[in-house]
Amino acid sequence: MASRFILRNAEPKDVSDILRLIKELAKFEEMEEQVVLTEKELLEDGFGEHPFYHCVVAEVPEEKQTPEGKVVGFAMYYFTYDPWIGKLLYLEDFYVMKEFRGYGIGSEILKRLSETAVKCRCSSMHFIVAEWNKQSIEFYKRRGAADLSHEEGWRLFEIGKQSLIKMSAK
Amino acid sequence: MASFNLRKAEPKDVPDILRLIKELARYEEMEDQVKLTEKDLLEDGFGDHPFYHCVVAEVPTEHQKAEGYSVIGFAMYYFTYDPWIGKLLYLEDFFVMKEYRGFGIGSEILKKLSETAVKTRCSSMHFIVAESNQASINFYKRRGALDLSLEEGWRLFRIDKQNLLKLSAEE
Repeated sequence: MASRFILRNAEPKDVSDILRLIKELAKFEEMEEQVVLTEKELLEDGFGEHPFYHCVVAEVPEEKQTPEGKVVGFAMYYFTYDPWIGKLLYLEDFYVMKEFRGYGIGSEILKRLSETAVKCRCSSMHFIVAEWNKQSIEFYKRRGAADLSHEEGWRLFEIGKQSLIKMSAK
Repeated sequence: MASFNLRKAEPKDVPDILRLIKELARYEEMEDQVKLTEKDLLEDGFGDHPFYHCVVAEVPTEHQKAEGYSVIGFAMYYFTYDPWIGKLLYLEDFFVMKEYRGFGIGSEILKKLSETAVKTRCSSMHFIVAESNQASINFYKRRGALDLSLEEGWRLFRIDKQNLLKLSAEE
């Protein structure tokens, strides 16, 4: 089984692999039908004039690839802004295919994101984790993550499209 | 007092934006935590690649306070990305000076942000609120906001600079 892999910035050609992995992660959360994003949107939104997200992908050598191809993991991130300290790196999605886990790919991805954050002068990295996802919580806590919802009482809220349209029309 | 104006922030608004950021932080008893400078805000918001956007609320000259402020409220937002549905509008900071509340300025700001979200094809607006801030929670719930932390169990995590440096240096 592969222990060799490379990490690189995603390119437009990776968009179908990115969507495949997004759907795999959603399937793991039993939410696959909720993925309505298309390859076209991922292409425009990530590789247009103003990228709304960035991706790092993990690739294995040709002899180790799956029927789906060489890309076996990815992380999606973007930059957010804290009005007290400035730029932050926000980790949005992070997934390695089941059969490629245990080889340090996840750790390497997180290391690469940490380097990116420091290089881009971000004060910290933020991300959300579901409270029941103990494994991920432990993975992040081992790397120094603090639970701000627990420490500072932050709750994530959403105003959905319907309510936004209602407010705009008032 | 009835008339006020909402507009997109310009580079000249940066001192007022910082002032209001500090006022909001003071209200949360965290004013010394504001490390951002006017220079940072200028580069980060009005450079080649803006990391945030602002809407400001201003009042006409005859209603200005003694200190001469014209800008009396603001909202800071940026665009985030949901891998299932795409673009979202993220509301980061939202504040109207105490003496100017109750005139519908906050509602107008939220309305303008909703229009922006719809126009830029965002699926929804996200933001965080401290669980202790019942007044804000009610303000947003009245406008259709859903507590995703409650419904879906999301918790916000942070890896701070020290730990990022540690991770980057690891073999």
